[in-house]
Amino acid sequence: MFASLAVAGSAFALVACGDDSSSSSTSGKTVVVTYSVLGAVVADLVGDAASVSVLMPNGIDPHDFEPSAKDIEAVNKADLVVANGLELEETLEGALEEAAGSGVAVFYAGEHTEVRAIGEGELPEEHEGEEDGHAEEEAGHEHGVGSDDPHLWMSPAVMGDVITALVPVLAEAGIDVGDRADEVVADLAALDAEVAEALSAIPADERKLVTGHESLGYFADQYGFALVGAVVPSLSSQAEAAAGEIAELKELIESEGVTVIFTEIGTPGDVVDAIAEETGASVVELATHNLPDDGTYRTFMLDLANAVAAALAA
Amino acid sequence: MNWALDPFLDNEFLQRAFLAGVLVSLACAVVGTYVVLRGLAFIGDALAHGVLPGVAGALLLGLPPMLGAAVGAGAMIGGVGLITTRSRLSSDTAIGLLFVGLLALGVVMVSSSDSFTGDLVKILFGELLGISASDLWVQAIATAVVLLAGGFFARPFLLLCFDPDLAQVMGYSSKLHHNLMLMLIATTVIVSFQTVGTLLVFGMLLAPAGVGALLARRVGIMMLIAAFTGAFATYIGLLASYHFSTAAGASVVLTAVVIFFLVFTYTAISDAVTARRHAAEHALEVVA
Amino acid sequence: MSMVAQPVRAQELAVGYHSRAVLSGIDIEVAPGASLALVGSNGSGKSTLLRTIAGLLSPVSGELTVLGGQPGSQPRGLAYLSQFHSSGFVLPMRSIDVVRMARFDHRGRFARASAADEAMVRESLERMGVSHLANRPLRSLSGGQQQRVYLAQVLARRAELLVLDEPTAGLDAAGREAFLAAMQQERERGAALVTSTHDIGEALVCDRALLLAGRVIAEGPPREVLTPDHLLETFGVGLTRLGDGPVITETHHVHTEAGHAPHQH
Repeated sequence: MFASLAVAGSAFALVACGDDSSSSSTSGKTVVVTYSVLGAVVADLVGDAASVSVLMPNGIDPHDFEPSAKDIEAVNKADLVVANGLELEETLEGALEEAAGSGVAVFYAGEHTEVRAIGEGELPEEHEGEEDGHAEEEAGHEHGVGSDDPHLWMSPAVMGDVITALVPVLAEAGIDVGDRADEVVADLAALDAEVAEALSAIPADERKLVTGHESLGYFADQYGFALVGAVVPSLSSQAEAAAGEIAELKELIESEGVTVIFTEIGTPGDVVDAIAEETGASVVELATHNLPDDGTYRTFMLDLANAVAAALAA
Repeated sequence: MNWALDPFLDNEFLQRAFLAGVLVSLACAVVGTYVVLRGLAFIGDALAHGVLPGVAGALLLGLPPMLGAAVGAGAMIGGVGLITTRSRLSSDTAIGLLFVGLLALGVVMVSSSDSFTGDLVKILFGELLGISASDLWVQAIATAVVLLAGGFFARPFLLLCFDPDLAQVMGYSSKLHHNLMLMLIATTVIVSFQTVGTLLVFGMLLAPAGVGALLARRVGIMMLIAAFTGAFATYIGLLASYHFSTAAGASVVLTAVVIFFLVFTYTAISDAVTARRHAAEHALEVVA
Repeated sequence: MSMVAQPVRAQELAVGYHSRAVLSGIDIEVAPGASLALVGSNGSGKSTLLRTIAGLLSPVSGELTVLGGQPGSQPRGLAYLSQFHSSGFVLPMRSIDVVRMARFDHRGRFARASAADEAMVRESLERMGVSHLANRPLRSLSGGQQQRVYLAQVLARRAELLVLDEPTAGLDAAGREAFLAAMQQERERGAALVTSTHDIGEALVCDRALLLAGRVIAEGPPREVLTPDHLLETFGVGLTRLGDGPVITETHHVHTEAGHAPHQH
């Protein structure tokens, strides 16, 4: 029996020898972006100055993603890695640190813009001691009240900051994007105006958001919305909704006169249905973490704005 | 050059993963052999899960998770011992209760804190692709400890497997060596959660040793076979994880279990064939 | 090897579990080279008494001296065979490995087997008629063959006191012959023997017998002890007188591998 195993083993090794390498190279440089929405913007910026690949397939919940061996290999071999940071890519942290430690350039978007902390912009009654959005870092509470909100891509203005900061880093990695930088920044500014316009029909006292998890913070800040609460009161879709929190949310929905619950990726469906039934709110799904079919950031933001407007202006 | 070696040659993190897997396999070969021979699968599984609140607590307090795991394992072993000596309950029941209780406690702790939702997955399923050099050192030390202890206590352990009464009569305290065995299992489990995770280390304890039990005629050979099976499963599992983008730790353990069932089928068939041949040729009684 | 005056000495001994006696009022003395048979049905306390002598259980009350000291204090001088062996099914060990284990406490942790140890092992296998099975895995042997291997292991201990629980369980006639011959040799060597048995024929061969049923029914030379009246009292079974001595028809003879005497871990 062992003899046959040995034969099989050597046959295996022989068969395995064969040239398999394939290389796709334009300028030869590779930029690896962690998730899809950020990737769309970076792709716009880089054009064909380098090949841009995105680790997380579109539609995957970034809070949930498990990197495969090839993903880690891609990170290690990239000329530049563009990540969101602020604990969005929890599961990639280790790989990103290792890569940085062995000399790969890693750009964290969260380091290049003003970061908001959870608690800002939310109704004061909800969180004790969180008046006026003075963020307190609570030890060990990475995704609770007071922690940094990673959902940077919810505001074109924030993305503009990120892009501006990214250009010199790309240059250092040997990737020259030329005029595209200005174009992209201008496009983002225009997009910002378009989004504001799309939302203008919503009266001020209807500008209240209840979401699946705490994801629309930057959107709310930028366009004047109040964050009433979230089904999963966490910055990550992976946390669980506890009974007391759900009850609190229901009360808030009723007292604030909220008419729509916006669900998103990772939101527990049956919990939402239960709350909706008891409060009479309608349920609208928002694509907050993944790109639309045409894969552009522009469509992403406009779809988002239109969906919010349609739900609240009604 | 070729798809069987390139992923490892090109990527240091895969080399580390392989090395970690081999080290875990060595420790699990020794410890798993005793788990299989002494029927300790249940408590082995319980230990693997019972450490969860210890780890969760450690993470909450900012302490090294392995320390928490050690405390959790200690609580488990101590608790089982206490319940079985102080009451009429069988160790089965005691283990089951503690196991479920500690697991539930761990989940409650994790869910009530807003942090480490992803960490729970990491603890249970490991992070084989995220092994660092210092992780390797820790694993190497743990494996060395297990191997040394296994060697030092080889004879009493063998006696314990054969007959706890005989061991006791021959002057080796059954209770002491039983607890030593449990501690070795605990050590292996505690260190493992950075590689295959506490949920899956259980598979690495049983499957390779199971293969050894089917094929070996001596306990020493059983451990050797278990070690090779584990190492081979690590290689194949990592390779599969690379080419098919599957979870690394789970792929390794799945491979080990598949190997076990392949060997099991092979031995079952070959035993049946041999038995039939003997019955036809001789008038001797058929050996079961 | 130094010989102790009385390998086993018990006075007013009561044995049991968790301080509850299952058998009491035991007064026995076994001299070197002598043999004592414990006869009684399952649950009569035979195994409990044997385990107490072997040092696995503490006496509930009374005095017990084994090999001149507390039970369990002289591992090298004692050989014990328990009633149930479940490990044979999984454990990958060859017969010779099983018998070699008998020499472990003589060799210490790491010392390799001496030529003398190995000779004892081989000889023990020979005496039980299983030399030809030395390299066979234990689990591939039949029940009777396994039992012979366990007995070979007992022989290899060269003990001063042999404590055996149902040693002939599963043995065929040839096996029982080999066992009885081996026991004869052990006693000639000066070892003492305490054994439990369901087989009256075996009990008759011993120097003394103890008839048990939760208490001591009778104690003394076998022919005095194993009378029809006593046996009726112990087993509740009728018997026929055939030829020389009483022969019993055993109706409660239950040999199971499945049942377990209560173990303390």
